[in-house]
Amino acid sequence: MKKTCAFLILFLLSFISAAIASDAIIVVANTDDKSIQLSRQQVRNLFMGGVIPYDLKAVALPPENQTRVLFNTKVVGLTESRIQSYWAQMRFTGRKTAPKEVKSEDLVLKYLENNDGAVGYLPAGIALPNDLTIIYTIQ
Amino acid sequence: MLNYNENSPVDDFKCGNNYFLLFTCLVFFSGISSSYADTEDNLKVSGFARVVMGYLDDKNAEYLGYDNSISLDQESLIGLQLDYQVVDTLAVTGQVIGHTGAQRDSGIEWLYLTYHPTKALKFKLGRQRTPFLNYSDVIDVGYAYPWATLPQQTYPRHFFSTFDGLMANYEISNNEFVLNIEGYWGGFKDKVVVAERIMEAETTDFRGLISNLAYQNWTFRASYHQGRTSVDLDDVVQFSGLLGQLGFTQSAESLATVGSTEVYQLSVNFENIDYFVRTEFNRIQADFVFVPDSDNYFVSAGYNYLPFSTYISYSQNKTQYEPAATDIPIGINSQLDIIAFSYQEIFNQLPIDSSEAFTIGTRWDLKAGLALKGEISQLNGANSDRAFFTVNDPSFDRKAILYLVALEWVF
Repeated sequence: MKKTCAFLILFLLSFISAAIASDAIIVVANTDDKSIQLSRQQVRNLFMGGVIPYDLKAVALPPENQTRVLFNTKVVGLTESRIQSYWAQMRFTGRKTAPKEVKSEDLVLKYLENNDGAVGYLPAGIALPNDLTIIYTIQ
Repeated sequence: MLNYNENSPVDDFKCGNNYFLLFTCLVFFSGISSSYADTEDNLKVSGFARVVMGYLDDKNAEYLGYDNSISLDQESLIGLQLDYQVVDTLAVTGQVIGHTGAQRDSGIEWLYLTYHPTKALKFKLGRQRTPFLNYSDVIDVGYAYPWATLPQQTYPRHFFSTFDGLMANYEISNNEFVLNIEGYWGGFKDKVVVAERIMEAETTDFRGLISNLAYQNWTFRASYHQGRTSVDLDDVVQFSGLLGQLGFTQSAESLATVGSTEVYQLSVNFENIDYFVRTEFNRIQADFVFVPDSDNYFVSAGYNYLPFSTYISYSQNKTQYEPAATDIPIGINSQLDIIAFSYQEIFNQLPIDSSEAFTIGTRWDLKAGLALKGEISQLNGANSDRAFFTVNDPSFDRKAILYLVALEWVF
């Protein structure tokens, strides 16, 4: 009985930790400078059209994408509705333009590989090619 | 900064039939995807449209053009924007808007060049919207804000227009905050409504400074704007000249048709995944009689529960004119009495828009780029004031409920 309980607890713990791990987000860049590490505020700025000290250009996933939802929640701290409203305001006041959208995580990876300076967010578990650099991680 | 564009008879290319615009919106929406289309790499076509249905529960007045029948043609509109990237650092932007409302001009809203010498610095030269308040340059893009309509008490719709000039924008950011500073200078000439009369107005030396600070979940905006405006009011100018010749200099000067207007603005927003609080205050001060001084503000709080957000708002404006001069004697002879009466009558006819509004509403984000809003506002004004109402029956108590439903698109 004790063994069964321990097994169940371990199973649940592993499930929970796997679930947590799957919710982690990495921000990945195609950059020659492998030392770049951004703060959350800088990542937020980058994806909200703001200026950061590096020559990086953000690409985003589509609004309905689950990784984007996690990124909105954990990094940007705003609802998708609010982010869309923000971009409407920025675009129609000529202030900023929204990042290019790429349809899926796999296509983000391909886009990053093919474009110097491109930055995208991805789920933490994804297999990365060697030439891409993780510049921010949030659990 | 006066009653720009309101009731203007100028129609550059207004749709003959108001419902034509609604139809056009639907055609555009069905034909264009929610994200804006790249027709070529350097040319971007985007747009926005809104259909606003309104009803006022009182037959004795109108508010924002709404009366006690359901109407779709007061605030519905469509806007199209073209952005063409000439080279990496230079772009051209044009925006046209077609309004259904008879009180709004349709036509070119924007036409400007953007020069981007560095990532942080940007210049725009040409025709642009005036960025008085937080949302005044997107007042027509309903999708950009949570409410069905911006509170009239803080965003009087006659208040906004375009200007021709230069705008510079510089952004500073670090690990803690993003600070955006804008300055502009220019001028414009347009039809305006002053004290319910339509006339030409020209504003020169029109300039402003805007700072926008984003820190964590907070956004602060403070701005100052100033311009020198002259309005064509020949009869008032003649009357003022007569008063001056008669030696009533205070009265003559009080009828000035040229003067400067200043606008101060402050807004604070807090927002996170679950809720938002937004508040904005502005003060308008003018040194000529036909533009009242006013203090205006709103406070709004909302709760997000995707795909909905529900909000409550309170907005208020207090408006007052400079008092009339008293240097014309009364009771000495009948001719002076007529002059004094005529002078006083000008002041008596100035409309006072002091009022307040309590609003509750919900926004439903149907999908990215498409939102439906429903809103109910209780409007209150003093019996002696206009309070933004068009009063059909003098016995109207300046209290009414406005119902709005708005469908908002960006594409």
